[in-house]
Amino acid sequence: MELKIENLSKTYSNGVQALKNVSLDIPQGMFGLLGPNGAGKSSLMRTLATLQQADSGSATLDDIDILNEKSKVRKILGYLPQEFGVYPKISSYNMLDHIASLKGVSNKGERKDLVESLLTKTNLWHVRNKSLGTYSGGMKQRFGIAQALIGDPRLIIVDEPTAGLDPAERVRFHNLLSEIGENTIVILSTHIVDDISNLCNNMAIICLGEVVAKGNPADLTNSIKDRIWKKAIPKVELENYKDEMQVISTHLKAGQTIIHVLNDNQPDATFEASDANLEDVYFAEITSRMETVSA
Amino acid sequence: MFKEIFLFEIKYRFKRPATWAYFGILLIFGLIVSIGGNGPASEKVFVNSPVAIATMLTTISIFGIMLSSAIMGVPVYRDIEHKTENYYFSYPVTEKGYLLGRFVGSMFVLFLVSLGLHLGLIIGFAIGPFAGYVEPDRFTDFNFWHYLQPTLILYWTNFFFAGCIFFALVSLTKKVMLAYAGGAILFITYLITLTLTQDIENKNLVSLLDPFGLGPYNNIIRYWTPEEQNSMTVPFSGVLVWNRLIWVGLGFAAFLYTLFRFDFIKFLNKNYKVKKKDESPDQKSTVAALTKIPAVSKAFSNGLNLKLLFRLAFMEFKNIIKDNFFRAILIAAVLFLFFDAWFGFPIYGTPSLPLTYYMLEVKDFTYIILIFILIVFMTGEVLHRERSVNYDQIFGSLPLPNRIVYGSKFLALVMVSFILVNMILISGVLNQIVKGYFNFEFDKYFTDLYLIEFPKYIIFIMLAFFVHSLVTKKFMGHVIAIAIWVLLFGLNSLADVNNNLYLYSYAPGYTVSDMNGFGHFGQSLFWFRTYWLACGGVLAVIGYLFWKRGTDSGRKARWALAKERLNIRTLSTLVILLVIFLGTGAFINYNTKTVNNYQTVEAGTIGSADYEKQLSQYDKIAQPKVIDVKVNADLVPEERSATIKTDYIMVNKSNEVIDSLHLNWGPEGLLKKKVTKFTLNGKEPKLGKKYDDFGYEIYAFNPPLQPSDTISLTLEVEANYKGFPNEGSGSTIVYNGTFLNNNFFPSFGYSSQGELTSDQDRKKYELPIKDYSLPDQTDPWGLSNLLFNDDADYVTFEGVVSTAPNQIAVMPGYLQREWEENGRKYYHYKMEGELDFFYNISSAEYAVHKDVWTGKNGDKVNIEIFHHPSHTYNLDRFVKGVKHSIDYFAENYGPYQYRQMRILEFPRYSTFAQSFPNTVPFAESFGWVGDFSDPNDLDYVYTVTAHEVAHQWWGHQITPSATRGANQISESMAEYSSLMVMKKEYGVDAMQRFLKEELDRYLRSRANESKFEKTLLDNDNQAYVWYRKGGLILYALQDLIGEDNLNRGFKAYTEAAKFRPKAPFTTTTEWYDYMKSVTPDSLKYYLEDSFEKITLYSNKVNEASYKKLDDNKYEVTLDIQSSKNYFDGNGKLLGEGDKANLLEIGVFDNDTINNQGITTKAPLVLERIWVKPGQSKYTFVTNKLPVKAGIDPYNKMIDRIPDDNLIPVEEDSE
Repeated sequence: MELKIENLSKTYSNGVQALKNVSLDIPQGMFGLLGPNGAGKSSLMRTLATLQQADSGSATLDDIDILNEKSKVRKILGYLPQEFGVYPKISSYNMLDHIASLKGVSNKGERKDLVESLLTKTNLWHVRNKSLGTYSGGMKQRFGIAQALIGDPRLIIVDEPTAGLDPAERVRFHNLLSEIGENTIVILSTHIVDDISNLCNNMAIICLGEVVAKGNPADLTNSIKDRIWKKAIPKVELENYKDEMQVISTHLKAGQTIIHVLNDNQPDATFEASDANLEDVYFAEITSRMETVSA
Repeated sequence: MFKEIFLFEIKYRFKRPATWAYFGILLIFGLIVSIGGNGPASEKVFVNSPVAIATMLTTISIFGIMLSSAIMGVPVYRDIEHKTENYYFSYPVTEKGYLLGRFVGSMFVLFLVSLGLHLGLIIGFAIGPFAGYVEPDRFTDFNFWHYLQPTLILYWTNFFFAGCIFFALVSLTKKVMLAYAGGAILFITYLITLTLTQDIENKNLVSLLDPFGLGPYNNIIRYWTPEEQNSMTVPFSGVLVWNRLIWVGLGFAAFLYTLFRFDFIKFLNKNYKVKKKDESPDQKSTVAALTKIPAVSKAFSNGLNLKLLFRLAFMEFKNIIKDNFFRAILIAAVLFLFFDAWFGFPIYGTPSLPLTYYMLEVKDFTYIILIFILIVFMTGEVLHRERSVNYDQIFGSLPLPNRIVYGSKFLALVMVSFILVNMILISGVLNQIVKGYFNFEFDKYFTDLYLIEFPKYIIFIMLAFFVHSLVTKKFMGHVIAIAIWVLLFGLNSLADVNNNLYLYSYAPGYTVSDMNGFGHFGQSLFWFRTYWLACGGVLAVIGYLFWKRGTDSGRKARWALAKERLNIRTLSTLVILLVIFLGTGAFINYNTKTVNNYQTVEAGTIGSADYEKQLSQYDKIAQPKVIDVKVNADLVPEERSATIKTDYIMVNKSNEVIDSLHLNWGPEGLLKKKVTKFTLNGKEPKLGKKYDDFGYEIYAFNPPLQPSDTISLTLEVEANYKGFPNEGSGSTIVYNGTFLNNNFFPSFGYSSQGELTSDQDRKKYELPIKDYSLPDQTDPWGLSNLLFNDDADYVTFEGVVSTAPNQIAVMPGYLQREWEENGRKYYHYKMEGELDFFYNISSAEYAVHKDVWTGKNGDKVNIEIFHHPSHTYNLDRFVKGVKHSIDYFAENYGPYQYRQMRILEFPRYSTFAQSFPNTVPFAESFGWVGDFSDPNDLDYVYTVTAHEVAHQWWGHQITPSATRGANQISESMAEYSSLMVMKKEYGVDAMQRFLKEELDRYLRSRANESKFEKTLLDNDNQAYVWYRKGGLILYALQDLIGEDNLNRGFKAYTEAAKFRPKAPFTTTTEWYDYMKSVTPDSLKYYLEDSFEKITLYSNKVNEASYKKLDDNKYEVTLDIQSSKNYFDGNGKLLGEGDKANLLEIGVFDNDTINNQGITTKAPLVLERIWVKPGQSKYTFVTNKLPVKAGIDPYNKMIDRIPDDNLIPVEEDSE
C-alpha cells in the first residue's frame, strides 16, 4: 500500500496559495509532516481526507484516485482534524457508537466491543456516559483520537493530535499509534520535532506550500552532520550575527542566548560544533525561506 | 473607557458587509415603494404625503424587529462567539463602560442603518415623477419635517424599544437564540393587541398596549380625509405620548437593569452542572495499554444506507424538535393559530361557530408566515449542524454517501413539516372542544392538511434547501430565503403579478364549504402542487450539487464539486423533474390561458378601457324592453353544466324606431356558453356586427321595431366549465349550491358597468374623468329607466327548472307543480303580479324550514327557509327577522306584495345576502353558522334579514329610476328600516352601539375615498354613503321629527311610487320632497345639512362634575363644546355653522342589561336642547348618583370624534 501525491496545487479563493506542486510518496507506516504554522500541512491533510478540492495534481492510494473517488477513500479513512467540535449533549459512548455505525460497522455486538475497547484505550472509560460538552481539552482530544481509529482505517490522518495533551497522555498516544497494524498509512502532522524523530520512518518538511525536504529522519539529519555550530552570545548582538551568517535558530539556555549556525566550516573559533539533530534540519530549511518572505 | 469601546464598535460595524447589506435592503425597499407608488396612499392622497410617509415608517419599523435583533443581539454575544471573552474581560475595562459602549455604539449603528429607508424614499420620491409609474401630480414637495417627525416619535422609538429588549436578553442570558425568541414574544404581544382592537370599546387600553404605536397612530389618522392626510403630520399628543413613554421607558428600563446586573464573572461562567469528582484518569492506564482494538467487519450496502438515511433523519428530527428556538417559534405559531381561530371569523364583530373549515383556514393567516420562517431557519440549522459545532471535518470524512447525508436532512425537515401540519389539526380540534363544538369532520382535516397543505410545506423546504446549500453563510441564507419570500409576496400583492405559474409555490385559492365540500378545486390544486413540487425538486437537486461538504467554500472548488456530483443519477433525476415541471407548466398554462383566458391585471384594465372606447357609442341607445319572461332551465349540477332557454316578450317603449338588437354578453368568462337557439319572432336574426373581445353582438330587426311594437325572443344557451382557471372558482354552477341569476343571459345595449372608474386609470388610458356614473335627476333617459336593469321595467315571470334528483331548485314565484321525469326533478314556478327584472335560479340539496306570518287583518305570508341540512343553528333568527320586518313594514309603509317569503342558502364562495323578489339568498358563511350565544354580539342574521326584507318594499315595490342618488331610495331606506326593526326589538337605549358602528364605518370609508364624497341626494356609487351615512341620518331624522311622522311621509311616498307602470320613475327629488313635507321648518336645517351637504359635528364634553344636594339629589354640571363644520367632497373645510342645533344632552347611570341580555344605556336625564356652537354650560338635577354624562350620547349625529361625547362624571371637589 502506498500513497502517491503528485504535483498537488491549491489556491484559496482569497489568493493564498496553500499547496504548490506538492509531490510525495508515502509508504506504509508512520509519516510525519513537519512545518511552521500556515505551511499547508492542514490543507494537504484536508485534501487527502476528501474535505477539499485540489486545483491540479493527483493523489492515489494504490488504485484509489483520492481526489475523485472520495467515497472509496472515506471507507478506509480515519481522520482527526486539527480543530474539531463535538455535540455537547451526547455522551462519548453514544457518539462513538453512532460514528461506528456511520462507518459501516453494522454488527451491534462488534460495535459494542469496538467502542468499549476504544474508550479503554483512550482512557475515557470512566467518563463514557458523560456528555461531551463537559470534557476537558485533553479528554476531547482523546475522544477525537478514538473516533479516528474506528472501523479499521487503512489511511489515518491525524492533524496535530497531541496538541493539548499532557506528557503522559502524549506518550500513551504514541504507543497507541505505534500499535496500529503494519499495513496502515498514518500521516501525522506536528510542530514537535521529537514526535517525528521518535515515531516516523519517513517525513517531509513543508514550508509555504512547498515540500522542502523529505526522507528518513536519520538521513535528513545526516545531511547536515558536521555543519551545525553553536555559540552563546549577548542578545544585543543577535542581529549582527544574522547579517553575517546563516543563523538557523536561537534559543535560551540558562539565561544566555545560544545561536545555531549552518555552515560548512567552523565560522570562527568562538563557535563550537554541535550535534546535528532533526530540529536543526527543520530550522535550516525553514528559517531562510521564512525570512525571504517576511523581508 | 466608554469612548474607546463606543468608537471601536462603530468602526467594527462599518467594516462589516452585513451593516451595509441591511442599509442597502432598506434603501432598495424605499426606492421600490416610492418610485412604484406602492405605499399606503389612496388615490387622492400624495404618495409622499406626511401620513403616507409616517405609515410606511411605522409599518417598516415593526418588520424592523429582525434588524434590531440582528444588530442589537450580537454586540455582547460576539465575545462569546469568537471566544474573546476570556481575555477581553481581563483588560482594565469596567462592566458599565463595556456594556454602555457596546450598547450605544450598536444603537447608533442601528439608527444609521435604519436611515437607509429614508434615503431610499427621498431619492425615490425625487425620481418618481419622472419614472412614469405614478403620475407626477401625485407627488408633493419634499419636506424634511415629514420624515423627521415620524422618525422621532415612531420609527426610532420602535427600533430603540426592540433593540433594548434584544440587547438585554442576550447580555443577560448569553443566548443569541433568545434574540429571535424575543422577537416571537414581541409578535405575540402584538397579535393580542390587534385582536383586542376589534372590540372598539377598548381602544385606549389597546392603544397603550401596542408596543409599536401602530394602534394609537391608526386611531388618530383613521378618519382623516385625503385633504388632511396631505397636509398634516400626526400630532404627538394624548394616548400616543403615553404609549411612547411606556414602551421607550420599558426598553430603557430593560437596558438599565442589564447595565446593573451585568457581571463579567457571571458572564464567563459556563453553566456547568455540579461536577461529581470521580475522575481518576490514570488508574487504568495499564489496562489501556493492554487493550487490543478488535477487528470489525464493515458493510456498505444500499440496504444499510437506507437504514442510515432514516436513522440520521430521525436524529436530525429529534435535534430540531429539541431546539429551543424551534420550540419558541412553534409555540408562537400555534398560539397564533389558536387565537386566529378563536377570534378568526367574526361578521360585524359577531363570532362564527368553530366549523372545521374555519379552523383550517387560519393556517393561511399568520401561521404560514411563521412556518415559512421556521422552515428556513431549521433548514439552516440542519445544513449547518456539523459546521456550527465544528464537527464538520470529522463528519465530512465519514464514509456516508452525499445523498444519504443531504437526503436525511431533507427527510428530517419533511418529518418536521408533518408535525407542523398536524399542529393545525390539534389547534383546530382543541378550539372546537373548548367552544363546545363536537362535529370534528376529520375527513376535511385530513384532506386539506395532508393532501393540500403538506405538499406546500415540502415545496417551501425545497426552496430553503436550495438557498441554504448555495449560500454557505447561515444568516445570509436566512436573509436571502426570506427576501425571496417577501419579493414573491410583494410582486403578488403590490405589483399585481398574479399568475400563479410564475410565483413559486403559489396555487389558486380554494374554499371549503359545508354545502359543496372541496368542490371543483381538486384538479387545479393537483396540477399546481405537482408543478411546484417538480420545480422545488429541481432546486433541491441543484442545491445538492452545490451543497458544501468539507471545508472548501471557494467558488471554483464548489463548481468543480458540483460537476463531480453531476453524474448519471443526478442528471437523470434533474431531467425527469424538469420534464415534469415543464410539462405540468404547459398543461396549466393551456388551462388557465388558452381555455380560461387568463389576463394580467393590466391587460384587464386595458380591456375595460377598450370596451368603453369602442362601444360607448351605443350607450343609452333605445332598445326594446322585456315585459314577460319564461325560463326553461335544465341544470346538471353533477357535471357543472346547464342548458337554459328563455322566452321574452319585448315592447318598444321608446318613441323611436329601433332597427337593431344589441346583445351584450360581456367577455368570455369561466362559464363557457354556447347559443343553441336564437330567434326573434320565430326567425333566426342576421348578425350585423360583432365585437368578439367584448362579446357584443348587433342583430338587425327585420322589419325595424316601431314604437309600441311587440316582439318575442327565444334564446337557448348551453353552459359548462372547462379545465381550470388561474384564480377564481367559477362558482355559479357547482355540485351542490348552484346560484345563477339573469346575468346568465346577455343584456341589451352598452352598459357602463364594465367601465373603469378610478380617475387614475381613466387618465392613464385617456378617458375623460367621470364624476358620476348616472345622469342627474331630470335626465329623460334616466327617468325612463329603472336603476337595477334598463332592459325592462316591471315584468311577469314563469319558469320550469330541472335539476339532480336529490336537489331542490328554486326560482321566483309560487311553486305550481313538482315532478320527476327521466331521473330529473322538475319544478314549475309562476309569479303573481309584477316584479322587476331580476331573478335567480338556485339548486342544492336543501332541507326546508316552514313558518307562517299572520298580519293584523288575518293575511298570511308563508315563510320558507331553504338551508343546508346541518345548518339549523339560526333558523329561528331568520324567521323572527322576517316576521318582525313584515310587521313593521306592512304597518308603516304598506302591504307586502307577495304571499310568500323565501330565504335560500348558497355556498360560501362569496359572502353576501341579496334580495330578489320574494326570495333572499344568504351565503353559507353569512348567518347560518354565526355564533349568537352572547346577546351583546350583533344579531346580524336578524338585522340583515330585516334589511333584505325591507328591499321587497324599497327596491322591488318602489324601484327607483336610473338617476343620481337613486340607490339611497333602496339602500338607505332598507338600512333605516332595519334600524327601526332593531329599535323596536331592542329598545331605544340599546341603539348607541349600532349607531356608533355605522358612524365608525362611515368615517373610515370616507377617509379612503378615491374620488370625492357625494351627498345623499347625488350619490351613485359610494356604498358607505348609502348604507352608513344614509341609515344614520334617517335614524336621527325620525328621532328629531318623530318616528310616526316620518313614516307617514314614507307611506305616502310608497303609495305614490310603488309599481309605477311607466316613466318618469321616482328620483331622490321626489323622495326628499316627502321628507320635507313632514319636517317642521325649525328642523329643515337638518335636512339641508344631511342630504344636500357634507356636514360633520364635533361635539365633546370638556368636563362633567356633580354636587350632592341636600335631598338625595345631585346637581350635574356639564361643560360642553360643540361645532358643526361643512366640507367639500375631498374633505376640505368649507365653513362653520353658526346657528344653534337641536342636540341631545344626557346624564346616565351605569349601563344596564335589558331583558334580552343586551347592554343598554340608563339615562337619568335626557333632553333635547338647542346648543349654540362653541362652549356652553348646562346644569341638571338627578335623583340618582350620576355616572356618565355627555352630548349626543347615542351618537346619532355625524361626529368627527365619537369617543369624547360621553365621559365619567366626577364629584366636585370644592
